[in-house]
Amino acid sequence: MEPGSPAPKKSRLVHSADCEMEEAQAPSSSNAAGGVNQSLHWTQWQILDSILPTGGFAHSYGLEAAMQSRVVNDQEDLRSFVVQVLDSAGSLLLPFVHCACAGKSPGDAAAWAKLDRLLDATLTNEVARKASAAQGSALLRVAASVFAEVPALQELRRTLLGSKSVSFHHAPVFGLVCGLVGFDGEAAQRAYMFVTMRDVLSAATRLNLIGPLAASVLQHQLAPDAERMVRKWRDRDVSEASQTAPLLDAVQGCHAYMFSRLFCS
Amino acid sequence: MATPTPMGAVRVERVRGRSALTRCFARYPLKLIAPSRVGPSSCDAVWLYALTYGGGIVSGDTVSCTVSVGDGCTAAITTQASTKVYKAVGSKCSEQLLEARVGEDALLAVIPDPVTCFSTARYHQKQVFHVSVNSNLVLVDWFTSGRYESGERWDFSFYKSVNHIFLGDQPLFIDSTLLEQSSSYSIAERMREYNVVAMVVLLGPKLRDIQDKMQDEVRKLMSGQLRPPTAGGSLYTTRSQRPRRPPLVASCSPFGRTGTGMVARVAAVSTELAYIFLRHHLAALEPFLGAPPYAAS
Repeated sequence: MEPGSPAPKKSRLVHSADCEMEEAQAPSSSNAAGGVNQSLHWTQWQILDSILPTGGFAHSYGLEAAMQSRVVNDQEDLRSFVVQVLDSAGSLLLPFVHCACAGKSPGDAAAWAKLDRLLDATLTNEVARKASAAQGSALLRVAASVFAEVPALQELRRTLLGSKSVSFHHAPVFGLVCGLVGFDGEAAQRAYMFVTMRDVLSAATRLNLIGPLAASVLQHQLAPDAERMVRKWRDRDVSEASQTAPLLDAVQGCHAYMFSRLFCS
Repeated sequence: MATPTPMGAVRVERVRGRSALTRCFARYPLKLIAPSRVGPSSCDAVWLYALTYGGGIVSGDTVSCTVSVGDGCTAAITTQASTKVYKAVGSKCSEQLLEARVGEDALLAVIPDPVTCFSTARYHQKQVFHVSVNSNLVLVDWFTSGRYESGERWDFSFYKSVNHIFLGDQPLFIDSTLLEQSSSYSIAERMREYNVVAMVVLLGPKLRDIQDKMQDEVRKLMSGQLRPPTAGGSLYTTRSQRPRRPPLVASCSPFGRTGTGMVARVAAVSTELAYIFLRHHLAALEPFLGAPPYAAS
């Protein structure tokens, strides 16, 4: 023990010094072009990566209930379903991604909590509301651990966990995390649409509605539709947030009524 | 609200221990009728019928109304027939605005017939409710695909309905539904064979039992109609053997931190089915209102 112990101690010191230096550099050069953009790519891709354990794959965004009520029966129905889910996400949730990302001071816990409370009142469908809170809580927990170079994530999470009536809804958490790790507002909103489509199509493959290859083909085919919706709904204020798929909303609310189910929502 | 002076103003207050209409003002094109005998005299409720000349709202018109229901009072606002929204002239909207205050231990029931938007119509509706912790609110907000029996289905250009409920300055229920023709799929394609969309809000301690009963019944109604596609996950291969969708889809959700509210979302293939659903689930309001909502006429 004796002779071995100084070495790890020393290396630990060296490591922590390195981290401090990196931390000190990151904020000052984050706006500059060049090398920093490359490290931002790694962060951005990781946020979009399905390996990030945010629990998104426990949710079908109403697809399972839509299949059990025969609103979605085949791949053509699935295409229409995905487009409607994206349209509704764009209209109802992108404003919350946008406002959380574009917050005047990104560490403003009180302003963020207000957004979260507003969304909690806006998600009047209990199935969707619980799914959103579960995914948002998981995302913030994961992001605070993974993106340790952004201490604001940890601090904000601690502050919010201590305050009452915070639900950690997914869209404002997503916007907050994206903003703090250096996404611009439009990229954050596009990313939100990307993960939404990714999760619905993943659910569709697990529900045996479509094969994995066909799902990837569909994902690629729908990208222009998703992009059109990003352009249509981006940068809107939360006061404009609206539900655009009333039939699917009523159907999704039935999720808890199903005797056998694979997904949480 | 958009207009500074509303077209209609209603106040219900307690006078000699009973709910009484102490203010009822309306100007063209809005008309408010307060029939004296809707229920038995033992029942303490003020009923109001909101009418518009011509039975609907023309393009460019805004109908606005404020309602105040005092502490311990009961009021019901309804219509005599569906509200027609006529064809749009240019990009002008037809608008309806309602701002209501519901006092302590008071009950307000907003139970209109559906809104029917004609082809090309543009409609915007906003209803804001200010409630306190033990206020009671029944809100039915619904619309049809249009004059669907003569083939005019989901043919309007724009429909937006906003319902906000505030408890003090805190948002309790923020609902906004938007349908417009511009998306990749037309409204008709998105709505399938359904012709009616309805929302029922029940809020407050007086409505607790009605909420519970409705949630139970809706669960039973729907769980019998939901089932996974054929065993093994294989899908319906031929169109002829594709099973039919439920003619009425409904789901209930509680809302509010303490679960004092409940909202039901409904889609139905016909107006008649939706009426039957509403009539059944709101029948238990009769003791409060003196008459059951949507009684067959």
